[in-house]
Amino acid sequence: MKGKYHIVIQNNRLRYELDIRRNITIIRGDSATGKTTMLNLLEQAAALGAGSGVEVICERPCRTLGGMDWNLILPNLHEQILFLDEENRFLKSQEFAEAVKASSNYFVIVTREDLPNLPYSVDEIYGIHTSGRYHDLKRTYNELYRIYSAETILTEKYRPEHIIVEDSNSGYEFFRAVCDENGISCSSAEGKSNFRSVMNKRGNEAILAVADGAAIGSEMNELYQLMCQKPTIKCYLPESFEWLLLKAGIAGGKSVRDILDHPEDFIESQEYVSWERFFTALLVDNTKDSYLRYNKSRLNGAYLQGKIKQAVLDVIEGVDWGK
Amino acid sequence: MLKIMFGDMENAVYHPPTYFDNQYEDEWITDPLSVAMIRDIDRSEVVGTHLIESPVLGPISTKEISGGVKTLILMAFDESGRIFNASACGDNCAGWIVEIGKRKDLTINLHHVMNFSAVPELEALMLNTGRLVHSYGEYLEEALKIKER
Repeated sequence: MKGKYHIVIQNNRLRYELDIRRNITIIRGDSATGKTTMLNLLEQAAALGAGSGVEVICERPCRTLGGMDWNLILPNLHEQILFLDEENRFLKSQEFAEAVKASSNYFVIVTREDLPNLPYSVDEIYGIHTSGRYHDLKRTYNELYRIYSAETILTEKYRPEHIIVEDSNSGYEFFRAVCDENGISCSSAEGKSNFRSVMNKRGNEAILAVADGAAIGSEMNELYQLMCQKPTIKCYLPESFEWLLLKAGIAGGKSVRDILDHPEDFIESQEYVSWERFFTALLVDNTKDSYLRYNKSRLNGAYLQGKIKQAVLDVIEGVDWGK
Repeated sequence: MLKIMFGDMENAVYHPPTYFDNQYEDEWITDPLSVAMIRDIDRSEVVGTHLIESPVLGPISTKEISGGVKTLILMAFDESGRIFNASACGDNCAGWIVEIGKRKDLTINLHHVMNFSAVPELEALMLNTGRLVHSYGEYLEEALKIKER
């Protein structure tokens, strides 16, 4: 499934509005914000239809999924938006992660737990807040807010002493080369699961952590608390290194720019479980017959040449490279 | 004393709101501590044992209070010896967890790193490592060393 979907769930006292644009969306946040109530409304609507008194407006069918037989039900659901509550212990299981990856459905998961088996985006972690009474003054209006907005992560030009890169491949090679030129040390965390422990071990250096925003969601709760506790730690979270290269305009022209403007309309979730895989494929496809031929496991030296390198660095607005 | 255990543990209730619905006692609801927690977290008033007045939903039953408050009430009053999953609580419940831990010996189970940064004084025993932490900073540093979630 691809595309962005606007969902309205309402009865005569509550109205929820959500925009869902990727295969995995996480809803968490404070207690008593109405998460469980929203799921209860959906469940009633799915069970009883209009006779429930709950109205659900969406281009796609919306329903809850849970219980002991979730794995029997899921294979029969296609191109729907499925809501799952935190009471389901299977959410952290490898079996569920595999089922999500193979599914054509979108998943909206209510949980405070981090789900490391699932590649979800930092941009798709939301809380619910009440934005006031609806025009009839009887109905309370609730909507999603993004918990980790880019603005709270890298707000102004930052001069790091050390950069930690999530991956150990081309992205790391690029940043290591740039750091070498600018007197900044650089290391690889060798995977997102090592990120928090690697940063926790460092002292009070000015550290910039660079990771694929498209898949770092499961680490964000801990990373964010670490950043708040140690203000010398900042994060830069582009969708992926390949997105960064594409955003720099080095390949593909207008067709790529169109995709980057609204990727959700182009990325088939069943084919690409997270967006960074799509951007890798897009970059590989758009550079395969040129001197910029991209290889994820080893950086093509052309990306470190003058104008190309500078175009990439220009996309990273929040970093003061010093030279 | 508050004791925190990350990851799976024996005798833990994974989804406390369901356990609450089936096991709560009427007198828990009207205890001043529950009244204060329901007022603070749910912005609702306890009218009586079976009736809560919610500003959003109107009059609601005890079973319709938030999952976070249900979990807090269990932590405060349940005497079955069970340990409750505090990951059912939002960060706005953190202060009450610490408060309950001051009143009784309280062990909680966590499957995520709860944010206690808004709590002025935090003292807790981290059961995974045996370290006693005296601040949110020490708690976070220790929690990030623990692999279990």
